[in-house]
Amino acid sequence: MSKSIEAKNLSAQLQYQAFGNPPSTLPQTAISNAFPGLEMDFRNVWKRILVGIELHESSNLVVAVDKSAPPEAQGLAEGYRLMHINDVSVMVEVKGPQYVGGPNVSLPDTTFNDPRMPLEWSNALAVIVHEFSGQMVQCKFESLEDPTKTVQASLMVRPFFDEEEVDGEKVRRAVIAKDIAPPGELTQSLCSPWQNDYRECACFYWAATRPDYVNVEARPDGTSTGNNWMQKDRTPETPNVYIVDDWMDPTLVNYTDLFRHWEKSLRFIIEGKDEEAPPPQPE
Amino acid sequence: MSTNIQSGSLVQIRRNSTAVPLPHAPAPTSFHLFETELGAHVMLVNGSRVFTISSEIAAALEGSEGDAAQLLAELGLSAPEYITGAPLTDSPIRSLSLAIAQKCNLGCTYCYAQEGGFGAQEKNMSAEAARAAVDMLLSEAAAGDSFNLAFLGGEPLTNRKLLRECTERAVALAQTKHARISFSITTNGTLLTPEDGEFFERHGFAVTVSLDGVGEVHDRTRPFKSGRGSYDRVLANVRSLLAMQQRMQVSARVTVTPANLFLRETLDEFLSLGFHSVGFSPMLSSPTGAGEMGKAEMDVMLAQMISCGEEFERRVARGERYSFLNMTNAMRELHKGTHRPYPCGAGAGYLGVSADGGLYACHRFVEDPAGAMGDVKSGVDVARQARWLAERHVHMQEPCRNCWARYMCGGGCHHEVIHRGRPACDYIRGWLHYCLQAYIRLLERRPEFFYA
Repeated sequence: MSKSIEAKNLSAQLQYQAFGNPPSTLPQTAISNAFPGLEMDFRNVWKRILVGIELHESSNLVVAVDKSAPPEAQGLAEGYRLMHINDVSVMVEVKGPQYVGGPNVSLPDTTFNDPRMPLEWSNALAVIVHEFSGQMVQCKFESLEDPTKTVQASLMVRPFFDEEEVDGEKVRRAVIAKDIAPPGELTQSLCSPWQNDYRECACFYWAATRPDYVNVEARPDGTSTGNNWMQKDRTPETPNVYIVDDWMDPTLVNYTDLFRHWEKSLRFIIEGKDEEAPPPQPE
Repeated sequence: MSTNIQSGSLVQIRRNSTAVPLPHAPAPTSFHLFETELGAHVMLVNGSRVFTISSEIAAALEGSEGDAAQLLAELGLSAPEYITGAPLTDSPIRSLSLAIAQKCNLGCTYCYAQEGGFGAQEKNMSAEAARAAVDMLLSEAAAGDSFNLAFLGGEPLTNRKLLRECTERAVALAQTKHARISFSITTNGTLLTPEDGEFFERHGFAVTVSLDGVGEVHDRTRPFKSGRGSYDRVLANVRSLLAMQQRMQVSARVTVTPANLFLRETLDEFLSLGFHSVGFSPMLSSPTGAGEMGKAEMDVMLAQMISCGEEFERRVARGERYSFLNMTNAMRELHKGTHRPYPCGAGAGYLGVSADGGLYACHRFVEDPAGAMGDVKSGVDVARQARWLAERHVHMQEPCRNCWARYMCGGGCHHEVIHRGRPACDYIRGWLHYCLQAYIRLLERRPEFFYA
């Protein structure tokens, strides 16, 4: 039977599960994780929030600059990060305990080896989007290589919401403005939960449907010992040492392993312990 | 096969009929199949979702009779129930109509307001009741909310001073609340002045003029109380407003009775005069029975409506404006996939206010205990409102529960249904069937009409 079906009106388009698509392509059954997600990557709405430059939300790096941007902004794509918009900081020093009951210490950003952490912009920039939409703001950038090198630039906050005219008045609609995200951009950089994010995500995050800490044994002092789930060498003879994650470390499963032969790189964990037979080794 | 008329699908009727098929019979179905020259199509009742489908799928659906759920699921077409049996709750009032004058200078034969007085003594609304109504509408407004204030009667322009006072009070109050307010008036047009036009233009009124046809046709059903015709007077008055339209929109509303079944001529004449839009509505329930449409007349009206619709299709496909209101509304709602458990907002977000400040389910229920819902001083009678919304839900209506058009029609005008029943179901289904076909054609020929 020809299964040709074409959704015509808007309610049909919204609800239609195209042949071959999984249930998660429908609004009510979507995973709806969006940072990044399976359906969209919400971080991408921030790429163009400042007119003239393109940003990477979770690192604060400027990744591109338009020729039309002000002269002082032209060099920003060479390793500069956004630090402030007006008085609002998007990088702050974060303090807290590293273990239960521990003292409050500085929690650095290990990716860039910086004592300051980038904030999540939906919260950090809410006040800027609300109060300065369409207006010029003072932005401060800092070189990743040399934090003493800074740039100040006056840039316009791109209106986040679409607008329509009602009775001669401009009214915001509950829709992201077209200029914020050109077609296709919201669905770029999606999750790959069985490859990158299977390795990347931890601690019961939805993409990390696996134990993080395996072969755990209690020690008399109340602490424990065990393996990182990514350690390649896990025979009964291997010293029971936890290797801290570093994606460059060849003793740990890396992204390429997961893409190329996940079925050989991973093994079953039964009741917290490796299954008895060692996994077949990759050729 | 006569039982199919009651229990079978449209397709069976088509198969067993030699006449032009029209989907007049209720079908206990979750879908409605229809065809155009562009192929086979289906409208799924749940969510008013419209699809073009292969002829094989159409045949499979046709054969599924009343048990299509599994097939729809296999085709990826099932969806959660958009409309449950739960009545609407928490519906803040967004629109009020004020019967600022329960009196009228015309003596229309069929009027639900019985020449303006609603069967009671003629009266004007007091300024006190009008102010209380405006305040009730806007006192709880939040910034950005939208409201509508409508003036009806009787003939609202017999109480012009109060109309202006209410409008200005509402504008001022909306401004303090940073809310938006729009205004509308339904008038017989006989008392309209250029100054009224300036006032309506200033406040962006939607002005609806009741006109039942051209010249004598109009005069037969809408005479002055003396018996003299009103058409010439209305036209003389309305021309200056038509010329003024910028923010204001002046539309013609035609009540269709057995005496004016020439819709196409009426539509073209009124559009050529410069009306912003022209809409038709059949007279289904009048207090005396005068002017009510019967089955034969409804069939004629349907054919006329479709003729107007076909002209709309031709014009819109060429990119021209042809403001046949029933059609523009139908195209907009079909495109969205509007689905609703009520025919309108009456008794929910919309209420009518009588001259004495009584609240009613809508402008037609003024002075009618069947639609009474409190008053402007003590507010909405929430118990009565809750009962109304529970009883009027389309799932509670027969035979609507089994009709494919139930979430598009919503069960029909409450006032007409309560006072006469449902004599127009075949007409409504016939019209919606045609509109679905026209929607498919226009979406193909003029997509920018829908995706401007």
